[in-house]
Amino acid sequence: MIDSLYVAWRYLSFNWGRSLTLIACVTLIALLPLSLEQLLDESERQLLARAESTPLVVGAKGSSLDLVMNSLYFGDTVPELLSMAAVDRVADTDLALPIPLYVRFKARGFPIVGTNLDYFDFRGLTIAEGRNLALLGECVLGAGVAEALQLGPGDTLLSSPETLFDLAGVYPLKMRVAGVLAPTHGADDVAVFVDLKTTWVIQGLVHGHQDLTAVTDPTLVMARSDGSVTATAKLAQYTEITPENLDSFHFHGSPADYPITAIIALPHDDKAAALLRGRYVGTDAADGLQQVVVPGSVIEGLLATIFRIKNVLDAVILVVGMATVLALILVFALSLRLRQGELQTIFKLGCGRATIARLLGAEILIILAASAVLTALLLVGVAQVDAALVRALFIR
Amino acid sequence: MRQHSQPFGLTAIALVLMLCWAQAAFAEDKLRIYTVNYPLAYFAERIAGDLAEVSFPAPVDLDPAFWTPDAETIAAYQGADLILLNGADYAKWTAKASLPRSRTVDTSRAFRHAYIRTSDAVSHSHGPGGEHSHGGVAFTTWMDLDQAAQQAEAIAQAVTRRQPDAEAQIEGNLQSLQRELRQLDARITAITRTDPSRPLLASHPVYQYLARRYGLNLRSVMWEPEEVPSESQWSELEGMLKTHPAKWMIWEGEPAEKTVERLRALGVETAVFRPCANRPSTGDFLAVMTENARSLQRVFGQESTGP
Repeated sequence: MIDSLYVAWRYLSFNWGRSLTLIACVTLIALLPLSLEQLLDESERQLLARAESTPLVVGAKGSSLDLVMNSLYFGDTVPELLSMAAVDRVADTDLALPIPLYVRFKARGFPIVGTNLDYFDFRGLTIAEGRNLALLGECVLGAGVAEALQLGPGDTLLSSPETLFDLAGVYPLKMRVAGVLAPTHGADDVAVFVDLKTTWVIQGLVHGHQDLTAVTDPTLVMARSDGSVTATAKLAQYTEITPENLDSFHFHGSPADYPITAIIALPHDDKAAALLRGRYVGTDAADGLQQVVVPGSVIEGLLATIFRIKNVLDAVILVVGMATVLALILVFALSLRLRQGELQTIFKLGCGRATIARLLGAEILIILAASAVLTALLLVGVAQVDAALVRALFIR
Repeated sequence: MRQHSQPFGLTAIALVLMLCWAQAAFAEDKLRIYTVNYPLAYFAERIAGDLAEVSFPAPVDLDPAFWTPDAETIAAYQGADLILLNGADYAKWTAKASLPRSRTVDTSRAFRHAYIRTSDAVSHSHGPGGEHSHGGVAFTTWMDLDQAAQQAEAIAQAVTRRQPDAEAQIEGNLQSLQRELRQLDARITAITRTDPSRPLLASHPVYQYLARRYGLNLRSVMWEPEEVPSESQWSELEGMLKTHPAKWMIWEGEPAEKTVERLRALGVETAVFRPCANRPSTGDFLAVMTENARSLQRVFGQESTGP
């Protein structure tokens, strides 16, 4: 048998082009369904684990999937906005702890998550370097962000403008990195966390500038009357929050009207969860403009859709695989015809039909073994990047 | 004899170690409460008693309303089991710091609709936001002792939620505190009821809730006790006295001697009514408020008879 394998190996090495093509074909047939299965398992793990650990999400009426994807996985699609009054409404029921989220802005491609410290307790996030958020304008980086951007405590990170064409819009905010989170192998690793109020600074709702009643530059003031000062466009707003200018930052309007994207509601028990959900049923509940969703149910619905698509993909792969196997058989049959003279010579040298069959079998065995090894290596490679791949393919 | 002393010594050391361990374990069980002013710290100490360790880290020489803690102190607040806020925009740093909502209690939330809005701020406009003002809310809510009692109740509810087994003890402590606050409230009401229209001056606009609760005819200037007012401030006062002929000015602290003399020349006497926002050098919140009630007795021309 060793002799047969040696002769087969020598033959395949000599005809390396044809051998590599066959190995690639077999590898692809095996790799496609296996890697797809692996990615779907990973997506199911990521999506369900996070969804099942989040009891309820309150948001504006609209797509529940967008709401959950944005609130749990910081997806790109921003749901309809809520006001902070909705947070007080949940708190006033005394049925659940509300954790507000404002996931709308980005910093160098990573989502900025505006929330409060209860979020860190809820997700069990711990600080690996530096310290937690303390003041306006600070941020805490997920482990993946810190690694990708090579940032650490004391560095700064600039928020990205929402649109390049918003020339008259709000200036980006230079945020100081207060700390870096320990890795969680989830969506929190690739997020930039700030206090909710800092997201309002990014939006321009909270801002700081020179004291208009004390400015001496006449070009900064358009009109001044008793109890009122109108500034010119020259009045610059601070783009970085420092201990020196922190006191000048102020809110415009009532904080109850400030926007958020969602509220994670943590009910005190099952009964409280049911009662809270009941408050959002019917048209008179929460002005009929809000909804409460159970993320686990929403994600299960999404996964059911994904698995329906997977069944179609499996059928396609099966047909393509069968066609490829037939093509391979044809390649072997044709190559046998081409090798007719070669096989006659082997026969005349004294090899029996069984020996010739063994030689051909050894060739097929080597090709299949090489394909198996290559498939395994590629699957290991997919496993290394599946978390990121799942985020890129299914979550963003 | 020497042979016996060694086991006794070891036993004593073991006992001391056990006591230390027990004390440390007990301390760990205690609630860690942080507050933003002294009245809340006093109420928390009275209500929680030995169930909690109450901290109010503002320096004694600063007004806690305008104090901004450093990052380390904010971290200490963040680590507390309970953070007691005064509400009414008091301690503006809390609006610019990250605090966990689940452990933060706004003690004046129950009467937030009764906050007094101040109208002395200049409005301004710039950019697309339109005109707005940085004027705020009067924040010395505890000067109305009925409101103080409500703040105490909010503290008791928050402590009970975290220590439900001690509900009876907390309720007892709350009732005792509220009884004393209401007695003092009744006393001040009785003092001020005699002549509610009597014009009074305040050296600083911090008595809004006191004036509302006890029906005082009070107008404020913006003077500091340790600073002698400027000539323009004196002119402003003289103008005010023409329409508001007050005979007494109440101060947050002892005014400078020169100020007292010049006020006396204008026919205005001085009395001290301490808001007690920071920890007093002697006594406690109720002692200071009792002293304040005595000051009001003088202002309203009554002899001090009570304690």
